[in-house]
Amino acid sequence: MTASYKIIEHAYDVLVVGAGGAGLRATLGMAEKNLKTACITKVFPTRSHTVAAQGGISAALGNMGEDDWRFHMYDTVKGSDWLGDQDAIEYMCREAIPAIIELEHYGVPFSRTPEGKIYQRAFGGMSTHYGKGRAQRTCAAADKTGHAILHTLYQQSLKHNAEFFVEFIVLDLIMEDGVCRGVLAWSLDDGSLHLFKAHMTVLATGGYGRSYFSCTSAHTVTGDGNAMVLRAGLALQDMEFVQFHPTGIYGSGCLITEGVRGEGGYLTNAEGERFMERYAPSARDLASRDIVSRAMTIEINEGRGVGRLKDHIYLHIEHLDPAIIHERLPGIAETSRIFAGVDVTKEPIPVLPTVHYNMGGIPTNYNTEVVTLKDGNPDHVVPGLMAIGEAACVSVHGANRLGSNSLLDIIVFGRAAAIRCAQLIKPGDAHKPLRKDAADRAIARFDKIRHAQGGRPTAEIRLDMQKTMQAKAAVFRTQSTLDEGIKAMAEIRASFADVSLKDRSLIWNTDLVETLELDNLLSQALVTISAAGNRKESRGGHAREDYPNRDDANWLKHTLTWLPGNQVKIDYRPVHLFTLTDEVEAFPPKERIY
Amino acid sequence: MKYRTPLAKARGLGAARSGTTRWWMERVTAAALIPLSYWLVKLVDLSATTPYAETRDWLAAPVNTVGVIAFVAAAFYHAALGLRVVIEDYVDREGSKIVLIWLVNLGAALLSLIALLAVFRTLQTG
Amino acid sequence: MAEFTLPKNSRVQKGKTHHAPAGVKNIRRFEIYRWDPETGDNPRIDVYELDAEHCGAMVLDAIIKIKNEVDSTLTFRRSCREGVCGSCAMNIDGKNTLACTKAIDSLPDTIRIFPLPHAQVVKDLVPDLNHLFAQYASIKPWIETQTPPPADSERLQSREDRAKLDGLYDCILCFCCSTSCPSYWWNSERYLGPAVLLQAYRWINDSRDENTGQRLDELEDPFKLYRCHTIMNCTDTCPKSLNPAKAIAEIKKLLLQRQEG
Repeated sequence: MTASYKIIEHAYDVLVVGAGGAGLRATLGMAEKNLKTACITKVFPTRSHTVAAQGGISAALGNMGEDDWRFHMYDTVKGSDWLGDQDAIEYMCREAIPAIIELEHYGVPFSRTPEGKIYQRAFGGMSTHYGKGRAQRTCAAADKTGHAILHTLYQQSLKHNAEFFVEFIVLDLIMEDGVCRGVLAWSLDDGSLHLFKAHMTVLATGGYGRSYFSCTSAHTVTGDGNAMVLRAGLALQDMEFVQFHPTGIYGSGCLITEGVRGEGGYLTNAEGERFMERYAPSARDLASRDIVSRAMTIEINEGRGVGRLKDHIYLHIEHLDPAIIHERLPGIAETSRIFAGVDVTKEPIPVLPTVHYNMGGIPTNYNTEVVTLKDGNPDHVVPGLMAIGEAACVSVHGANRLGSNSLLDIIVFGRAAAIRCAQLIKPGDAHKPLRKDAADRAIARFDKIRHAQGGRPTAEIRLDMQKTMQAKAAVFRTQSTLDEGIKAMAEIRASFADVSLKDRSLIWNTDLVETLELDNLLSQALVTISAAGNRKESRGGHAREDYPNRDDANWLKHTLTWLPGNQVKIDYRPVHLFTLTDEVEAFPPKERIY
Repeated sequence: MKYRTPLAKARGLGAARSGTTRWWMERVTAAALIPLSYWLVKLVDLSATTPYAETRDWLAAPVNTVGVIAFVAAAFYHAALGLRVVIEDYVDREGSKIVLIWLVNLGAALLSLIALLAVFRTLQTG
Repeated sequence: MAEFTLPKNSRVQKGKTHHAPAGVKNIRRFEIYRWDPETGDNPRIDVYELDAEHCGAMVLDAIIKIKNEVDSTLTFRRSCREGVCGSCAMNIDGKNTLACTKAIDSLPDTIRIFPLPHAQVVKDLVPDLNHLFAQYASIKPWIETQTPPPADSERLQSREDRAKLDGLYDCILCFCCSTSCPSYWWNSERYLGPAVLLQAYRWINDSRDENTGQRLDELEDPFKLYRCHTIMNCTDTCPKSLNPAKAIAEIKKLLLQRQEG
């Protein structure tokens, strides 16, 4: 097999797979620490989907009023519906402050207060004094914060001479005896295969929004790292928790930031009613995303949707001063004009809850090391493997992520990965040779898919999957729809054996790229819907009509899913209901009201 | 060239730390030529329509002598700068480029000297 | 001399025509540049007739529909599909723009799609942008300071100074502008082009940066900067409505100011 492909070998101290915010922050940190690091990415770094993050990045800087990282921690725990690991949440919220200051020092063009400090806006679920006041905690660069941060991180990576392998598709992890030894990758530019050896591989491959039909995610958001982990025989965690963003543009699914509501925007139904007042009397439109998405879905289901088909909701900002819109929300004005034909200074924006974020992913500890359940130890570290960003499930978001906590997650844990690697690896440590057959399985899979000559085009199978996930694993779920969905997904995944490609070339074969990505999406879709069928309670992003309440007695635990072959295997890890230090006490579960 | 990195190619020989003067003088001379064109038009008109002596007397007036000389200087300076830009834009070979630019510069200098000589000779004939 | 004709192996030939299924009423015709590096054949124009009724609103939706339903070998870059990542920059109906934000309805019945002009083609609509990215890296597009930042807080910046970065930091590096600039076509080895100069100005204009003088030094060059002849294609074509021509003019003004002012 290997004979037919020329393979170029490389050795590095650290590999970072993915060049979004998390991957770049990690790469930059490694480069600063003189670790020989390669960042392998399937798109040029500034094309990564972090670029589309709009509203901001949370940190209790207190620039716009009183704040404390403990308040931020409480909000995050409550937002997670108590499924978040509190040691990791403590770490994230405390480290948020130096991490954001550091970003400003890197040159991020944050918007400013009249005193010249970083501007902060209100966001969903962010409070002061443990739910009593409203916090302005989300640091923003107009409504292009992700763009500002991603470009700045790339610029800093250039400054530190970080090494990039751009438009390389990582095919699989190279695992030996439970240790990750590197990855196999395919270069689109010249079609060559590359075997990367490293002491540490950091997966920063993002979520898998494209398993759904309507999502805010880019076409490239296919969770390749998650799928590689499944293929390596490791588990994914909490995959049933998929966040629906309340305000995706009706039709195209393009994101309209929660910052719109943070700046005073609000939602109305067909009767012109600000219905969020009924669902979240105190936070109203700035309740957490799961609450708002559910409320919108109920309004639509009960016949109070707007539009000809009564199937969406209006988001208003036309009451705001056009100068404020121009200064703070220029991007959404442009996006609304292009994709909804709406002048936001005059008309409401048609919106719909849209798949946006995956709380689940590769289980890690707060040091970003991948963990798994092994011999009864739920915190067994997988040597040589780390995961950060949306790909990871640390878990700081638990069952529901708060807006502006994801940019924070990628920065804090990207940084943490570099700190941890510097502790674990001495620059230039010698590499053990890989086994002769180390890459054989990965190459075999690649070669098989490349030459697939079945009867079903990639796009057809992909559409089946996306429609199934959209219909059967939506905002509200019941056992019967989930069971139907599990059965359908298993069949759709099996039909991948019959996939067909037209393009057999090796240079820039995007037919093959999309098919490899589809294979990745299929496994994640299957474990997602299986985990959803398994969890018989409602918590955060997982809303069961047949089990409407949270059930801490039975379900205050993380779901682990493996996919050996075609059968999903499920087990559990305990939630960390303890803190890292004594600077704060853990928040015991209580009722969640906004 | 083949094995040079993209960054090495992009950096090339670095910045010349010049160009501003030429860019600015192109604009200054262009602006100056607008009023100075009066003397060109007037001179051509007189040469064509009035006797030699009368034209010479006109030219002998200090304001007109200076005006014509200033026009000649500005026009050839401007022409040299402009042609240089055209050569820089469209001629790729470094050798040819440098030679052509200096031919243009020498040509402009020579032609302006000839023009100045013509002015002084005309004045001397009085 | 600059070349004005294509070499023999780059001349574009007629390709395949994929007709719309019978019965389709609202047909849109897409003529798309194709080139496969692995065959050695000349580039060609393939024609795709598409059912416009069952297609999304944007050109990217159409080419994805072609890839999904008609010809999966069609190759192009795409990612965010909302005009922020800069992947799908291409020449559509004679103008460089992002396929994802260009409405099909704003175009004539026959839509011609080519890769970004004057860049090496890697395959179909995928151009080689390495030189542009290297030029971007060459201007040191990162903050440079000597004064240490405050240990525990951000550097301060007034709202007025921050507002000077609007329209500069928002560039998505799609390079529609640079590849639309004739001056860049003739002298791309040495001229930095509008996209990179816009980024250079972004740092010159950042009140927090301390290296303005050196940045200006590095730009003061007949080729790196002064190849801009204010043709204005850059500003005209920018899919994000930015104004690179103005940024270049501002750099020239600053250079003049430090020399003559």
